[in-house]
Amino acid sequence: MTEWRGEREARDARLQAGRAHADGKVVPAAAVVQLLEAILRPGDRVCLEGDNQKQADCLARGLSACDPDRIHDLHMVQSGIVLPEHLDVFETGIAKRLDYSYSGPQGGRIAKMLYGGQIELGAVHTYLELFARYFIDLTPNVALIAGVSADRDGNLYTGPNTEDTPTVVEATAFKNGVVVAQVNEIVEKVPRVDIPGDRIDFVVEADTPFYVEPLFTRDPAAMTETQILIAMMAIKGIYAEYGIRRLNHGIGFGTAAIELLLPTYGEKLGLKGKIATHWALNPHPTLIPAIESGWVSQVHCFGSEVGMDRYIRARPDIFFTGPDGSLRSNRAFCQTAGLYACDMFIGATLQIDLMGHSSTVTQSRVAGFGGAPNMGSDPHGRRHPSDPWMKAGREGQIVGDPALMRGRKLVVQLVETFGEKLVPTFVEKLDALELARKIGLELAPVMIYGDDVTHIVTEEGIANLLLCRDADEREQAIRGVAGYTEVGRGRDRTKVEALRARGIIRRPEDLGIEPLDADRALLAAKSIKDLVHWSGGLYEPPAKFRNW
Amino acid sequence: MAVDRAASTDPDALSWYEATARQRVVALADPGSVREFLPPTERRMSPHLPLFDLPRAFDDGIVVARATLDGDPVLIAAQEGRFMGGAFGEVHGAKLVGLLRAALDLKPRAVLILFDTGGVRLQEANAGETAIAETMRAIIEVRAAGIPVIGLIGGRAGCYGGGGLIAGTCSRLAVSEGGRISVSGPEVIETNKGAEEFDSRDRALVWRTMGGKHRRLTGGADAFCADTVAAFRRAALDLIGRAPAFDLATLEAEQARLQDRIARFGDCRDATEIWSRLGVNDPEAVPAMDTDAFDQIVTRIREADHDAR
Repeated sequence: MTEWRGEREARDARLQAGRAHADGKVVPAAAVVQLLEAILRPGDRVCLEGDNQKQADCLARGLSACDPDRIHDLHMVQSGIVLPEHLDVFETGIAKRLDYSYSGPQGGRIAKMLYGGQIELGAVHTYLELFARYFIDLTPNVALIAGVSADRDGNLYTGPNTEDTPTVVEATAFKNGVVVAQVNEIVEKVPRVDIPGDRIDFVVEADTPFYVEPLFTRDPAAMTETQILIAMMAIKGIYAEYGIRRLNHGIGFGTAAIELLLPTYGEKLGLKGKIATHWALNPHPTLIPAIESGWVSQVHCFGSEVGMDRYIRARPDIFFTGPDGSLRSNRAFCQTAGLYACDMFIGATLQIDLMGHSSTVTQSRVAGFGGAPNMGSDPHGRRHPSDPWMKAGREGQIVGDPALMRGRKLVVQLVETFGEKLVPTFVEKLDALELARKIGLELAPVMIYGDDVTHIVTEEGIANLLLCRDADEREQAIRGVAGYTEVGRGRDRTKVEALRARGIIRRPEDLGIEPLDADRALLAAKSIKDLVHWSGGLYEPPAKFRNW
Repeated sequence: MAVDRAASTDPDALSWYEATARQRVVALADPGSVREFLPPTERRMSPHLPLFDLPRAFDDGIVVARATLDGDPVLIAAQEGRFMGGAFGEVHGAKLVGLLRAALDLKPRAVLILFDTGGVRLQEANAGETAIAETMRAIIEVRAAGIPVIGLIGGRAGCYGGGGLIAGTCSRLAVSEGGRISVSGPEVIETNKGAEEFDSRDRALVWRTMGGKHRRLTGGADAFCADTVAAFRRAALDLIGRAPAFDLATLEAEQARLQDRIARFGDCRDATEIWSRLGVNDPEAVPAMDTDAFDQIVTRIREADHDAR
């Protein structure tokens, strides 16, 4: 006779074992280790919620303190490897296998551990890809998640940083898994129910509030005139040219400069209402002046940003907020929105090769992908037209029946020819290839593939790769904006001038931009304090960004 | 866009914090009056930096000039915080010392030092340290000759290390909110004493401890101005007019005030405690206050007006 309820019975047994350490659903912080040892089984697939920003840090400490003789060989399936504990568990043998997406701050250590064989790597994913696999072949047995507050029935308020939580819980709770939530406090009634209580099995009142990293704050005081020049070129040569209204920005200084130029330079060009109205974007503080000047219609967010809560509450026409007033973010939905409903992704990268492939991997760091490859790719499943999408499609159409032409998403790389410490951005060969060889990755960690990239903008000009008709043109177009890097100096001058004559390469002067006009005076805000003023005192920057 | 460029030389619009050293000097002085000594065209550059394969600046990061301020002749030195954090090197220091010594002959109405420095340039530390000592001696001689030396502090690099020591010898100091005055910088303190003693990443803490408002409230600076060149100009004119005599009575009074300060505030763990003892009703609100509201508080606190740095 076939057994159809094995997983369900195993879940019941785990819950039974866990209840010994709980009062109803509530578990004191001191009993976290006993709870985890009771509900986990060797070899389990576990999602220890480590998001882009929010961290289930109390549960992470608990898991790393479990007895490796009892709990071992776990398969961790989580989007972010951010805290030291996320990797400690691999050193002690509690965990063995890893499928993840993003590892920013732990990028160096994860590379070492991969190289040393301490981690058995499944794959490095994009966010949407990992979320998708939660529902197909990486469904967690146990999810350890983080929220702001919960009631005694487990109804969970995740607060502005909802991020990955609904997706993780959906995959776990509805497929016989056990869900444990750490919360900052247990309350009588939660401000709003982000996750219904019947999907939460245990609630741990954490010893300290969960950690959130302010990842999306760029201090205008640190913006350079080069970044401003690049931003001016992007606005005039791409945003205005294609009429980009629906878009996503990366987190670099270049795109933050664009946000700060909209109410000044953009206004002067008469672009208000014509560009940058609908966003898939975290609540960047540098977007405040554009919002306050009436540029922005609405913004959907992947997560939140430290210090932006009061401002968002006061601007419900712009942001997605709950009946309680606070932001509701959702990474899976916002990634989908960025993929299918935005006409442009624009962001920075560390290395670009001669074909336009780019990567943020250096020889000693595996930073992972996060969401950029989702945002920065042309979705072949898109079927709704828009002017920018159709225009890009026409530019990129080389052969075939015009009646069957489809559009193209604009994927723009915004880089300075030399990055930090004067390391060249343009290279003959990506470091990612060497790293893949060294640690035996089957797939080289390329952030955005060259065939998805439509434009590269540097301080030397814009290269429109859509208009290139063969690999040689493409290479010369890239060399033609690569400045004084080796790659840039290796250009064929005649070919580059020919590309310029055809409008494939455009210099600032071709766009009617005088480089000396790229002045910090153009920034709508020149400091974090200016952003506070723009927000009417509603933005509360974290201490590390204050200079008063 | 021509409008924007015009705006960047308008003293009322030009941010002191944002401006370059040369922009500050030109916008601070009477229009058209600035005559720079050893300008970049002379290319008096550091002889030491090439040894370290480091780029040099044609003016070694300092502008020295004669000019007029409200019609009176003044000498002005301005450090460029964007070049090596405005640090003192051999040529940089020699230009400042030379300007101060010239004051004894030229007898200007005042010497203005526009500080923007992290201290001594490590690559030429001996020359830099010597320059600090020579500058302090030269300031003493200039003040003894009856010429006020006014320090203006509101640049990105602040006024640290030897710059902080030199500021202590000036007749009067004006500071803006963004300006910081101290000797050891936040990172240095954290490195030596630990993050528990001083967390350099907590920038609100850094500014409450070393920033313009705190220095003004405790009397370390004599004027607090908004972050525009025009505000610094008004402050400079005001301070020139009320510079103290440089005599034994002034020094003894300064010593007494410093002793009083350590006695009253020596056990405070945070600047807000000091402000509270000074009689500020809501010390937590001070950092976010605008210039006008802050000025009203300063007016109520007597301690803010004296010569002790």
